[in-house]
Amino acid sequence: MSASLLILIPLLPLIGFLINGIGFRRVPKGAVGVIGSLAALGSFAVSVAVLSAFKAAGSEPQVVSLFDWITVGNLNIPFSFQIDQLSLLMLMIVTGVGSLIHIYSIGYMKHDEGFGKFFAFLNLFLFFMLLLVMGSNYVIMFIGWEGVGLCSYLLIGFWNTNTNYNNAARKAFIMNRIGDLGFLLGIFTIIATFGSVEYTEVFSQATGLSIGDPVVVTITLLLFVGAMGKSAQIPLFTWLPDAMAGPTPVSALIHAATMVTAGIYMVIRSNVLYSLAPFTLEVISIVGIATVLLAASIGLLQNDIKKVLAYSTVSQLGYMFVALGVMAYSASMFHVITHAFFKALLFLGAGSVIHAMSDEQDIRSMGGLRKKLPITFLTFLIGTIAIAGIPPFAGFFSKDEILAHAYEHNKLLWALGVLGSLMTSFYMFRLLFLTFFGQFRGTHEQEHHLHESPAAMTIPLVILAIFSAVGGFMGVPEALGGTHQLAEFMSPLYEGARQVNPEAFAATTLSHSEEFMLMGISVAAALIAAIAAYVMYVSRNSVPAPDTAERSSLERLVYNKYYVDELYNGVFVKPIAGLSNLLYSFGEFFIDLIVLGTGRLVKGVSGQLRQTQTGSVGYYIFAMVVGIVAILFWNLLIR
Amino acid sequence: MYPIILLSVLGIVVLFLGFMKSKNILLPATLLFLALALGSNFIDWNQGPLLYFYGMFSVTNLTLAFNAIVLISAFLIVAMTRGFQDDEEAQPAEYYGIMLFSLVGAIMIIGYEHLIIFFVGIEILSVAMYILTGSDKRNLRSNEASLKYFLMGAFATGIMLFGIALLYGATGAFSLTGIRGFVSTAAGAQSYILYAGLLLLLIGMLFKVSAAPFHFWTPDVYDGAPSIFTTFMSTIVKTAGFAAIFRLLSHSFAGIYDFWYITLAVITVLTLFVGNVVAVYQDSFKRMMAYSSISHAGYLLIALTALTAQTERSILFYSMAYSVATISAFGVLMLIAKEKSLDGRPNESYDAFNGLAKQNPLLAFVLTVSMLSLAGIPLTAGFWGKFFVFSSAADRGLIWMLVVAVLMSAVGIYYYFRVVIASYMKEGNTGKIRVAPFYQIVLVAATVITILFGLAPGFFEQLL
Repeated sequence: MSASLLILIPLLPLIGFLINGIGFRRVPKGAVGVIGSLAALGSFAVSVAVLSAFKAAGSEPQVVSLFDWITVGNLNIPFSFQIDQLSLLMLMIVTGVGSLIHIYSIGYMKHDEGFGKFFAFLNLFLFFMLLLVMGSNYVIMFIGWEGVGLCSYLLIGFWNTNTNYNNAARKAFIMNRIGDLGFLLGIFTIIATFGSVEYTEVFSQATGLSIGDPVVVTITLLLFVGAMGKSAQIPLFTWLPDAMAGPTPVSALIHAATMVTAGIYMVIRSNVLYSLAPFTLEVISIVGIATVLLAASIGLLQNDIKKVLAYSTVSQLGYMFVALGVMAYSASMFHVITHAFFKALLFLGAGSVIHAMSDEQDIRSMGGLRKKLPITFLTFLIGTIAIAGIPPFAGFFSKDEILAHAYEHNKLLWALGVLGSLMTSFYMFRLLFLTFFGQFRGTHEQEHHLHESPAAMTIPLVILAIFSAVGGFMGVPEALGGTHQLAEFMSPLYEGARQVNPEAFAATTLSHSEEFMLMGISVAAALIAAIAAYVMYVSRNSVPAPDTAERSSLERLVYNKYYVDELYNGVFVKPIAGLSNLLYSFGEFFIDLIVLGTGRLVKGVSGQLRQTQTGSVGYYIFAMVVGIVAILFWNLLIR
Repeated sequence: MYPIILLSVLGIVVLFLGFMKSKNILLPATLLFLALALGSNFIDWNQGPLLYFYGMFSVTNLTLAFNAIVLISAFLIVAMTRGFQDDEEAQPAEYYGIMLFSLVGAIMIIGYEHLIIFFVGIEILSVAMYILTGSDKRNLRSNEASLKYFLMGAFATGIMLFGIALLYGATGAFSLTGIRGFVSTAAGAQSYILYAGLLLLLIGMLFKVSAAPFHFWTPDVYDGAPSIFTTFMSTIVKTAGFAAIFRLLSHSFAGIYDFWYITLAVITVLTLFVGNVVAVYQDSFKRMMAYSSISHAGYLLIALTALTAQTERSILFYSMAYSVATISAFGVLMLIAKEKSLDGRPNESYDAFNGLAKQNPLLAFVLTVSMLSLAGIPLTAGFWGKFFVFSSAADRGLIWMLVVAVLMSAVGIYYYFRVVIASYMKEGNTGKIRVAPFYQIVLVAATVITILFGLAPGFFEQLL
């Protein structure tokens, strides 16, 4: 595998960014979308080539060094890429789903005046995301990590004339910074402990440590704080629903399929460290399941089509962390992949609906759209079934695998997971029924305007729908007579972890009948929820109450998202703002005094010293002689 | 070795080219000759340490790297001369010839193995500089600067020669190896004649790189000389001078480090203080750059005082970063000073930069990057230069010196940013300045180098 081929993968989107970014307003509109999409498709094609070369070469992980980047003392940080099973899987998702979303955006953003800027940012995002997944050390991952955060900020606030959107962008950025601080401290601790940030070096040294070593627990907890921010886990999840202020393709690409899974990627990448820290794993599974339930319950009562999907994303990310917490790394990755398919599909479908509804996002004003938007409806239906976990669609296999591992680990964890799955199925079908069934509830103008989206938008929908339908077959459990190809593919990644913690990787103790029972229960839960939703929203035709309606106190609590935002506002934002104001009014005086005083002092000394530069050669030579005499006198006589 | 011969011959060729009617051939010819010299420099690359001229001149990869920095700087500077077409009084052939000869001197003091070679080299370099400083014949300030430089330079040369004589008296050797042999003996480590010789030679050298209190000539000379030659002095003389001091101290006197380092440390601190603090008060950008060059001599002296295994590389990196940033800063200054000239004289004050960015974003950007690099802000080469220098001092435990250095860098930010603020935030009516394509390439190249090595300092190490 040549370095020149590999470097093309991130380079193409970067070139796309430069062309569209520098040539903004000069590149013709028709060319912008083509350049942006070709950049993404190009790097997808190269990724496919790299994948097949990798398999042909016997699936040996490779580190391709580009150049020495930073050398400080004993710490050497090369700029290099690591190609192995994990980075290849992420590459396929990022470039594959990314390409589809680029193509979709050509249709979706056609009427926007910031068309060129949009594609430039999308390409830049791809570039950073690719650095994140391809880098062979934590520092390159960190650059990608910060870069995607920046692009996320830019794209959430894309329509920057709206103050609320800008606030949402800022919120995302600041919450992520909190996580980033943890991540950064984690990297520093890694440097202090292992003296390197290269994955191969760090992990091979880590295999020498014992399980539960406090240093490893510290490192993994700090890194997990970073993951909490990026992957929107409790307590740093509130930015993700607000991030829906960005254009819908952005929500699909960044806030569903790729960037928010960076935290999971990072944990799987560091699986050796995590396998050494059972305490951290315990924390991860608790945070994960709590996030699943909290976000899913909020999703039950939301009325904004994108907000429902956003909470659903938070809750699905929770499932992935539950899987990580029980050391089912492959299952987590499996869910990352299937989730990328069906959640991107659902977001793009929602985008198609919003496009048709002239930017209306409230599902109370929709209804009956299945006749006007047949393709969107069908694909959305497939996405809903997939996420609800109904076989044989993709979500069933991945979620079921996570639940099975949870059951093995702890029965309560499993039960809560099934409860979450029940809620997932309910809110998704509620969304589906309210949007596509019943009577149209919007204005007359909107009804007149309703239309199916152009081919640039529907083709990606269809492709994603196919993957959402059949994507699960890459990991059919043994109990159903299949082979888990994904787990086999990823198995070499856990060599180190298996060495340090062999018990965790022992073969499953579940019998086939137990597995069948688990599957039965979760499918039954999903079906019951779906039927309940059907009864409520189709048979009885009920519509959620308007915002002003009276609600019971529990309902109000959930409807207002448990007042988490208000809580953070009261506990963190207001006191800090108060302190900041205090320091501003009071501290500014002293700081000015010191700063201006120092400045005056330096200037005064400077003015005095300047006088020595008289311009007279005689004086200069005299000064030199004094210097020479002083030096000789001191060195030769006094010492 | 090859560049010495080539440049000597080609310098004479340039003088003869001056007899031709058309002066247009001179600039491309000089650039071509410099490129040839640069190419010939690398003939000895990776050939291991070599000795030439009966063991009086040595060649290693690091001296070749210093040569390369000097030659590349000269190339960039010559490319900015535009053939001296603006000035009718100018004698382009002589100027180019003298510049090529002065490079011979610079290369000799980078690689000398024998003090006579060093002395001849530094005189070739200095005499060339005296002439170039006074090249603006009708300008009294230029004449004055030249005379001052010559008088004081002659004085310093006397001191230096006295030092060399004492060293010979003490050791019976002119060669660096011979002197080291004497220093390593018990008698040598205690010889007061040797000490006096070292101190006097060092003082002469420190004069050439404008360390305090031997710096007084610098502001007057830099200010009075035509800007293009100021650039030449502040980059090439400084780089070669520091390479020479390093050579002397590390090859011959590392054994008596404890004797000389305190003196050097005091001079370092004094230089840092004078350079940075007085720069604050200047109203002329050019004069500020003169003080800035004193302050950078101070930073380079830190590396010398520390004298660790990394010192030569850190001096190399620092000289590169400093030279490139200085060249682009003077490049922009020359354009602005000519555009804003008052009564036919270039205007070199800060005010001339007001409102530069509006019509000339590229120039403002080049200037900003160069100022950031000189101030040592991260993501520029100047940051890593300072970082390497400071970390070598930290390795030696010279913490008090570092404290002064860091405080003085903070002062530096004040005067470097003044011009950036003037060009972006102050109101002014600078029209669109036409920049010749070649000139523009030099500015952009210098900026790209600054940013490239700022992003990936390891890349520089790999080139070696």
